[in-house]
Amino acid sequence: MVSMKLYVPHVGHLEGLEDLLSGSDDIYAVYMAGSPDYIGTGRTNLSAPKLEEIAIQTEYAHDRGVKMEIVLNSSCMGGQQLTPEGYRTIDWYFDKLNGIGIDSITVADPFFVEMLAKDYDMDVVVSVLSFVDSPQKAEFYEQLGATTIVIDPAVNRQFDKLEAIRDAVSCDLKLLVNEACLYQCPFRYAHFNFFSHANGPGPKPNVLDDYYYFKCLSLRINDPQQLIKSPWIRPEDLKEYRHITDTFKIGGRTQFINWILDAVDAYANESYEGNLMDLLDSVKDLKDNFFIPNSELSGAIEQWKRCDKVCHKCGYCKRLAEKVIQIYSQDEDGRCTIPLGSSGDRT
Amino acid sequence: MTMTQDMLKARGELENKLRELLGIPVFLIEMDIFALPCGCSGVTINTRGLQLDDLEIFEEHILKYLTETVTSLEIDPSFLFVRLIPGTAEIASVNARMLCSNCYMDFSRGSGKQPRPDIYILRFDRRE
Repeated sequence: MVSMKLYVPHVGHLEGLEDLLSGSDDIYAVYMAGSPDYIGTGRTNLSAPKLEEIAIQTEYAHDRGVKMEIVLNSSCMGGQQLTPEGYRTIDWYFDKLNGIGIDSITVADPFFVEMLAKDYDMDVVVSVLSFVDSPQKAEFYEQLGATTIVIDPAVNRQFDKLEAIRDAVSCDLKLLVNEACLYQCPFRYAHFNFFSHANGPGPKPNVLDDYYYFKCLSLRINDPQQLIKSPWIRPEDLKEYRHITDTFKIGGRTQFINWILDAVDAYANESYEGNLMDLLDSVKDLKDNFFIPNSELSGAIEQWKRCDKVCHKCGYCKRLAEKVIQIYSQDEDGRCTIPLGSSGDRT
Repeated sequence: MTMTQDMLKARGELENKLRELLGIPVFLIEMDIFALPCGCSGVTINTRGLQLDDLEIFEEHILKYLTETVTSLEIDPSFLFVRLIPGTAEIASVNARMLCSNCYMDFSRGSGKQPRPDIYILRFDRRE
């Protein structure tokens, strides 16, 4: 097995970190959100660790040879970062994290990339929420001081783009393997901006429901080919990306440790037998509705390598979805699976 | 009595017991029975006014009351937990869940009371 650097989600408290690091030797680094009082994060978050807690956890990780990354990837700060008060507060927080010995900070705002690169020793990681999907954008961020760029998963299956980004910059690249958001999702920017305010310094929106998430799931239920089209990377296909990078990030900060360790195991061993849905992060609420046998997706990457992304003419993912996706149902013997078409007419 | 009549009675009784125990206005604003596609089932009781400190101080009593409540609804009290509003000490819900074999693994792999920062376990009976 070729060595790889796996960045693994951490739910945010010491107990979780202890369980996580005692469960696997394949973790190169863990990442978690910081305090929402300063920058916040563009994803749902289950914890708000204080600086003292971050310090204790960082020391614990370092003692075990694991790097610590703090994710402060709010995609919208409402301009607060550019005010004198906002700048001073954030600068103070960066300074504290630097003093703790954090290895890297993930940010989405170009302003923070430049600020961190200029003033601190921590590695600067450009978040997927900066949507770096082209060599031109990668060059901009590298010039701002990025140490690592996490490429927008939207181009995970566009190898010409990935290779062009690789050629254009000399900084490290990281690929998020299991985010599993909708391909070309129409809600992407609005949803992350919403999360950034909900998980940021405030004022926090008092929303009734997460419209974007409901629509996201609803679109997949009505059109299950979207589950195939979303640009996840199977554990078995990591080898196809080795000429791009050896650094892979697993999404799942709101999952249980057991789930995270299963995903680490699958990606570290580049093999998984079972329902692919069990590895995907953003569709966790559908994992008991759809069964996608991972082994039956073997070879699909060869099609995706030459895919020109004109879905309405190609239809490969639609045919693949109809062939492999099954739906969980209930019969007198308990849980069973039925073919996709038998649960009703779908578009 | 019908199932919903049982639930109405159980909700009110538990709310009264908690108020009497803690001396604060705890509200149990909704009690829901659930059955999930994975095979889990149980009850969720959404709360307002209950904090993690209350739970840690009166855990023994609250565990006893919750056990009585869910047992009265014919739910096995083998896994009882509360959900916290992330990043706060506010308890969002009190829960009893009869775990399916897959979800059981999510909780059995850890050893402490907080397998995730938003979950605090009151009781977890390990299986053979």
